[in-house]
Amino acid sequence: MGQTAWGWLIAIYLFLGGLGAGSFLMAAFFELSGWRYRSNFCPVALVGATVSGPLVALGSALLIFDLGAGRMQPWRIFYMFTHFSSVMTWGIWILTIFIPLALVYGFLELMESEAFLKGFVSARAPWLLRNARTYRRWVAAVGGVFAVATAVYTGVLISDVGPAIPLWSQPVLPFVRIPMLPILFLISAVSTGMGLTFDISATIADPEIQRRFRIMDLSHIFLIGLENIAIGLLFISALSAGGAAAESAKLVLYGPLAVVFWIGVVLVGLVFPFVVHAYAIGRGQHSLTSGVGSGVGIVIAGLLLRYMIVYAGIPAAL
Amino acid sequence: MSDTKLSRRTFLRYLLGTGAVAAAGGVGVGLAPAAQTALARTDAPKARYALIIDTTKCVGCGACVHACNIRNNLPEGKSYVHIVPKDDRGRQWFLPVQCQHCADAPCARVCPTRATYRHESGVVLINEKLCVGCKYCEVACPYQARTFDEERGVVDKCWLCLDWVSEGKDPACVQSCVLGARIFGRLDDPNSEVAQLVASGKAKPLHPEFGTHPAVLHYIIEGE
Repeated sequence: MGQTAWGWLIAIYLFLGGLGAGSFLMAAFFELSGWRYRSNFCPVALVGATVSGPLVALGSALLIFDLGAGRMQPWRIFYMFTHFSSVMTWGIWILTIFIPLALVYGFLELMESEAFLKGFVSARAPWLLRNARTYRRWVAAVGGVFAVATAVYTGVLISDVGPAIPLWSQPVLPFVRIPMLPILFLISAVSTGMGLTFDISATIADPEIQRRFRIMDLSHIFLIGLENIAIGLLFISALSAGGAAAESAKLVLYGPLAVVFWIGVVLVGLVFPFVVHAYAIGRGQHSLTSGVGSGVGIVIAGLLLRYMIVYAGIPAAL
Repeated sequence: MSDTKLSRRTFLRYLLGTGAVAAAGGVGVGLAPAAQTALARTDAPKARYALIIDTTKCVGCGACVHACNIRNNLPEGKSYVHIVPKDDRGRQWFLPVQCQHCADAPCARVCPTRATYRHESGVVLINEKLCVGCKYCEVACPYQARTFDEERGVVDKCWLCLDWVSEGKDPACVQSCVLGARIFGRLDDPNSEVAQLVASGKAKPLHPEFGTHPAVLHYIIEGE
């Protein structure tokens, strides 16, 4: 297999960072577009805002757990804020800003829906409840920018190793200096965020929501199309690049990772959700099972995609 | 807001807006490595030392590996020098690889704590007090020259035995090579053997296409 320095802890972190960022973006989108105000209760905004902070925080905890001396002597972690030529330094700044914003966003969301919190806030800080919508919109807008940064940076982090691991630094197109992974991870982050907050949570909370937001079926199909193109381009260019990049592609396409790729990523995460959403567009509604099933498939595939990319990273031959 | 036509237009407007933000962020962050390459210090100061490996003499005996392991007290299975067996259409030869002490070292660039740095002599070193053990450098080194020490939780690698070298002695791997496949000397002395081998172009950096400008290690490879 590929490189051995980074393993499943890093893969899970890349996944959770994307999932948390994507969930935040979904909540922020429903907030800023005003869609959440179409009904008294918006599960997408509520769940997206509530889970994003904890998910990204959990991922970051895994990162710290993967450290060596930084885990044994945690004060060393502060050194990681200092070197701006390192994408990891950017990342730790992005996370340090995004996690509190996401947690605040979750709180602003919960304080209106949870009676206990609402009582507490109205007694201590009634101004918070009075202007809740304004605060939420600001946090959603600023946090949204950092959510995009979080999702993109996870891809930049591993693509910035350059010639050391050719699969990770594959460009979008030959001779274009932009790497593919940041783009793929961003698409996948939005996709998994949508799967978690809309397909799973919103469908369970309110099956009728699928009918009210039919545009989401089209959005899913659009993202699946984009992700198909990105994954296709990545492996075609890796194969044509030869060397370690081609070896990586072979691992994924018909090597030890083929089961993870063809079944876990392609079938469960792309084909199955596509069929579900295309069928829903035709019929005009989802069944509870198909909606939730498609979301679970998309989320699991998001994890397997990261796992596959991390483990297929073969170092350049010497 | 419940008018579907209006909501669809709103949706598309926000979708485009979100897409534009995402694209701008993606392009901006994606261009960073290109910008870093453009800003790379190819005018970095020359290294003070050179270690030239003559692969026409190396038989892959592993003496350098053992000497290095003893010198640095490395546990079983860890090594700063690894010998890559090569096979050119039935002709076997050996390529010993260790830290190349690059002028544009990717390990130093990606290190979030500045633990990895380039010493004034051109030798790339690790300040173990700053290292957090994130292993980013290990992943980013195209020469696969870095190892992770689980016990101390830090990354380490060849340091050219800088303590011995600054006293005028040879590194352990050079001392142990009985076949003369390792030639070590001062690069800043134009009359030294290493300086002349490098100047004549007989000794070349390994894998220049990696773009890291190896400064200390050079190789004499048959047929090149």
